[in-house]
Amino acid sequence: MNLYEFEGRELLEKHGIIIPVGEVVRRGDNIADAYRKLGLEEVVVKAQVLSGKRGKNNGIKFCKNIEEVKKAVKEIFEMSIRGQYVASILITEKINIASENYLSITYDTNRKQPVLIFSEDGGVDIEDVVEDKIVKILLDIRKNKLPENISLPQDILVVAENLWQCFLAEDTRLVEINPLVKTTDGKIIALDAKIALDDDAFYRHCIEAQDRAKEKGLDSETITDWAKFETRTMLGRPATEREIAVQEIDKGEKYYQGTAGKYIELDGDIALILNGGGASIANMDALIKVGLKPANYTEYSGNPPREKVYALAKIVLSKSGIKGLWMCGVVANFTNVEETFKGIVDALDKIKPAFPIVVRRAGPHDKEGMKLLADCAKRNNLNIKIFGKEISMSETAQVLADLINKN
Amino acid sequence: MSILINKNTKVLVQGITGNEGEKATRAMLEYGTNVVGGVRPGKGGEEVLGKPVFNTVAEAVKKFPDITTTTIYVPPFATKAAIMEAVEADIPQINTIVERIPIRDTAYCLAAAQEKNIQIIGPSSLGLIAPGIGRIGVVGGPKEQADEIFTPGSIGIISRSGGMTNEVSWQVRKAGLGQSTAVHVGGDLLMGTTYVDLLKLFEKDEQTEAVIIFGEHGGSYEFEIVDLIKNKQYSKPLAIYIGGKFASTLPEGMNIGHAGAIVERGKGALEKSEALNKVGVMIADRYEDLVELINPFA
Repeated sequence: MNLYEFEGRELLEKHGIIIPVGEVVRRGDNIADAYRKLGLEEVVVKAQVLSGKRGKNNGIKFCKNIEEVKKAVKEIFEMSIRGQYVASILITEKINIASENYLSITYDTNRKQPVLIFSEDGGVDIEDVVEDKIVKILLDIRKNKLPENISLPQDILVVAENLWQCFLAEDTRLVEINPLVKTTDGKIIALDAKIALDDDAFYRHCIEAQDRAKEKGLDSETITDWAKFETRTMLGRPATEREIAVQEIDKGEKYYQGTAGKYIELDGDIALILNGGGASIANMDALIKVGLKPANYTEYSGNPPREKVYALAKIVLSKSGIKGLWMCGVVANFTNVEETFKGIVDALDKIKPAFPIVVRRAGPHDKEGMKLLADCAKRNNLNIKIFGKEISMSETAQVLADLINKN
Repeated sequence: MSILINKNTKVLVQGITGNEGEKATRAMLEYGTNVVGGVRPGKGGEEVLGKPVFNTVAEAVKKFPDITTTTIYVPPFATKAAIMEAVEADIPQINTIVERIPIRDTAYCLAAAQEKNIQIIGPSSLGLIAPGIGRIGVVGGPKEQADEIFTPGSIGIISRSGGMTNEVSWQVRKAGLGQSTAVHVGGDLLMGTTYVDLLKLFEKDEQTEAVIIFGEHGGSYEFEIVDLIKNKQYSKPLAIYIGGKFASTLPEGMNIGHAGAIVERGKGALEKSEALNKVGVMIADRYEDLVELINPFA
């Protein structure tokens, strides 16, 4: 999960990095109250988006009085920044900048270890900085301290050490401060925060983790509960009801028993229930290639129980305006096709769709699974074509296209 | 010959008493792989499918000092400890099927394994299969299905996706060809064993005439292949399909598909395909085309 600046900077502050004072406002909030609470004249009004070059796209405005702030807030809420929906706005104190630096830690996938990146040319994209102005230091994930004798300015080193603590303790995939500024009175302040959390580590950052810490006599307040972060999507709009509902499916004690909690709502009219992270992506390409438009991206993977698949299928089929359903999966290695199809059948029995359905699937217990589906089609009079591995996945996309064109 | 597995491979199953662990044990035994036993703390002395269960990896290694491979079938929150136990016991090869391991844990295990020259395949890897020789993990599924899909042959297969390891292998078989070894490397951001690690092995393997890769958008592992070929460390025919063309329309930083498939400008399916095409790699537009591309070289 990518964090908004206002969330990320709180994690930085938790690890001893100085951030400007600020207030977050949302649509409908009283702006004057927030401005008064800050008690400052000159402020910076900053759009909160998940990615994008805010500064270059008018998402950051400098204001000197309440009228300017109100105007800036109104303007920013009306814009989308490089396709990103503005969820909220952060109003912060204006800092007197002496110099801007860049500091980040992320994973170097080729070296398979964390890398700290520093540049004295901050405030611009690191991709735009010349290579010899960038310091890269590979880090050992097993060590809680940065290596000795690394070549960073002393005051930056202090922040880097805190950032490393943040990177480790908060289970992040990326922590980036750009710019990390030196103020005219010599302080080092994080003027932005870009943090990507590792969703797979959620069990170390939840109420249960706090409880476990308490039982061990540890300080539970140092554990941030990720569940408190608002639902988000990067698709330039708020998360839809269906997207929020699907996220619930993989929660709970058995979260790792198969994945059925992936759903991204798209503009097209072909409902998709795909299988596996790799095949699903390939099949999205295949569907678009035959001229159809996906209503959603959805996959279930591994060996999810019937209940999870049912919950997912029900939500996928609940979208209005669907013209066809493509349920396409590989020759499974270990997914129990019968068990997962029971969940699909439960949903089809309930919804009884009138639009054409094309299924392609094989794997363990596929004969039993296919029979369940065929029986379900019969009793509900479904317009369905069921295939096994005798035909390739992409070919069945064409079959669906032909059925829809005939309708 | 195959890569990564041979007739002398001896396998341990960590988490053998769980559902998935037992299923994998059965899958391996059925396919003729020598599974010597398993591990489950507190259940030492029991048996699963006639194989002894030990409390710790160290106990298992004491009894079977020539274990070559261990497979990890435990929940994600217990995975780091399980892998580190195997690393400390100096087992040379570790296959991790577990999905959703925190990346910090993966990086920790990879660092510790690398120091000891231990090979980790995965995480999120269903394993590998060398037709007629054996398999690590559950690639291919039930024996009957695995026999339909896999037969000894000259094509090496590498896939980021478990399902596509099977699917691509099936396309190969339907075309009347066979496989030397098919490896599911896993879809995580950090890969224990990468494409280039395997291409180097396939280069040396006499049975392998050509290699097929199912790749994905996001990450930069595919770009490592470009350097490998430029440095003349791999010379056999290679065909690749890189999924996720549509993902280039999604916002940067968004994750779709496997954990490692993050939308990044310059690292999309098209950019990867173009870079590989320049060094002579055959690019498949659809995954089904991989077989046609590779067929003349089989």
